[in-house]
Amino acid sequence: MIEFLQHSITGLMIGSLYALVAAGIVLVYKSTHVVSLAHGQLVAFGALFFWLFLGGLGLPFWVGLIPAFILTALLGLAIERVALRPLIGQPLLAAFLMTFAIFISLEGVFVLYLKGETRTLPHFLPEGNLVLSGISVPINQLIGFCVALLLFGLVSLIFKYTKLGLGMRATAEDHRLAQSAGIVVKNIFSYIWILSGVVAAIAGIATANVMDIYYMLPYIGINGLIVAICGGLDSLIGALIVGLLLGLVENVGAAYLDPLVGGGIKDVAGYAVLLLVLLIRPYGLFGLVKIERI
Amino acid sequence: MLTLNNIEVIYSNVILVLKGVSLTVAPGAVVALLGANGAGKTTALKAMSGLLRTELGEVTDGSIEFEGTRIDHKDPEAIVRMGMVQVMEGRPLFEQLTVEENIRVGAYSRNDTAAIRSDMEAVYHYFPNLARMKHRVSGYLSGGERQMLVMGRGLMARPKLMLLDEPSLGLSPTLVKEIFKIIQQINEEKHTSILVVEQNAFIALSISDHAYVMENGRIVLDGPSAKLKENEDIKEFYLGLSQVGKRKSYKEVKHYRRRKRWLS
Repeated sequence: MIEFLQHSITGLMIGSLYALVAAGIVLVYKSTHVVSLAHGQLVAFGALFFWLFLGGLGLPFWVGLIPAFILTALLGLAIERVALRPLIGQPLLAAFLMTFAIFISLEGVFVLYLKGETRTLPHFLPEGNLVLSGISVPINQLIGFCVALLLFGLVSLIFKYTKLGLGMRATAEDHRLAQSAGIVVKNIFSYIWILSGVVAAIAGIATANVMDIYYMLPYIGINGLIVAICGGLDSLIGALIVGLLLGLVENVGAAYLDPLVGGGIKDVAGYAVLLLVLLIRPYGLFGLVKIERI
Repeated sequence: MLTLNNIEVIYSNVILVLKGVSLTVAPGAVVALLGANGAGKTTALKAMSGLLRTELGEVTDGSIEFEGTRIDHKDPEAIVRMGMVQVMEGRPLFEQLTVEENIRVGAYSRNDTAAIRSDMEAVYHYFPNLARMKHRVSGYLSGGERQMLVMGRGLMARPKLMLLDEPSLGLSPTLVKEIFKIIQQINEEKHTSILVVEQNAFIALSISDHAYVMENGRIVLDGPSAKLKENEDIKEFYLGLSQVGKRKSYKEVKHYRRRKRWLS
């Protein structure tokens, strides 16, 4: 039992990272209806920027956070302005492919900078384990987990109670109607990419906290995409729950099934979950239910 | 206040919908725009509010002026900020938002919090029904409530001119009367000019000061509403009052359709 709980807790910690990555994809999709493949790169660059200030310049971590956030947000804004804004009004598939092109181009930059090496963040969070009735939790991962939960709460509050959030929700429903209500839809798109950039930076930093920065890091975006799709693409709460669930399934599955099949469950689990969810609920577990008047 | 000067509208570069429409709305006036389906009424409204360009339409000739400024190439949100609001046909709502949030979205272009709050009270005063269902998700409202909500949302932008596209569509006669009474009330109390597109010619002519009749992308008739109400063609084709039992000859059919020159 203790063993099972231990695997579950570790899974949930990893799952919160997936949820954070998925949150950025959901934010963009909610307002612009573009599924952003480029998000994994934003996450990776968020981590890299943070490393530059922390490992490179040796700043204390709370000072390094701010420029990392700003730079990632600017990168998000640049993607929106340069690549996606000209495609407003064009088929969504064009925008989707564009985000793929951005992923590939940014990956080039990323690999060119790293040159196949890995970068490791200095330990900027308290070390050690929290042991609770036999289950041990690394403190730095626990902090990441709490930050993820807080962030989801914060973003939800922004959406629910601020004027900007109201504009974003209105834009998400109907661009033309939003325009006729005096909302400058293009500005909302910019804000959403900035917000998504900041969320990506947090996700990147939290990820780099538990693994190295190397050329595979952007591919955490794929896990984020799986989570976002399973959660329903436009549901933040869906991203959170499915993210945690995926981490759980991956970790527990790997712990118990790996010895039987000889490993590799971790890489397959996500796709197995995706397949199952899409077969049963094509719109995702928490997708928006369209209001239909009968 | 609003002037359309001989405007021509083409959709997708090929479909000519408006073939020279001129129209004026005086400050504080209620103007009705009548016509059959496909006459171009809604297109004219969209040309004014700027929404035309979001659907591949374009004003290719003529000009639209609002309070002395040309607006035919402005974005819809800029036009809303100038004080002209279109309440679209079919009463589109932000269905996932609550009634109150829908109303708040209407004031998105403004930043004066205190005035927004008092305007919200005013909207609830005009539409007491909405006050009772503030926190309900608006997608579940009935047709009449939706009409009230879209008008309330429009009012929140403090418009100087409101464009109403078929407010009576699909509503019961009593409700239509109520809605038009409120429109009149808004016009009198807030001095908001109103341009209303309608199929229900009778009620539109009763509350308006001036009316235009459109057919096939042209204005074919206009004049003070009281006078138009007495016009034989209007009586026959829009109010359904025909001289039953009498023989009719071809020359009596819609005399303006046979006119060679378009005077308006």
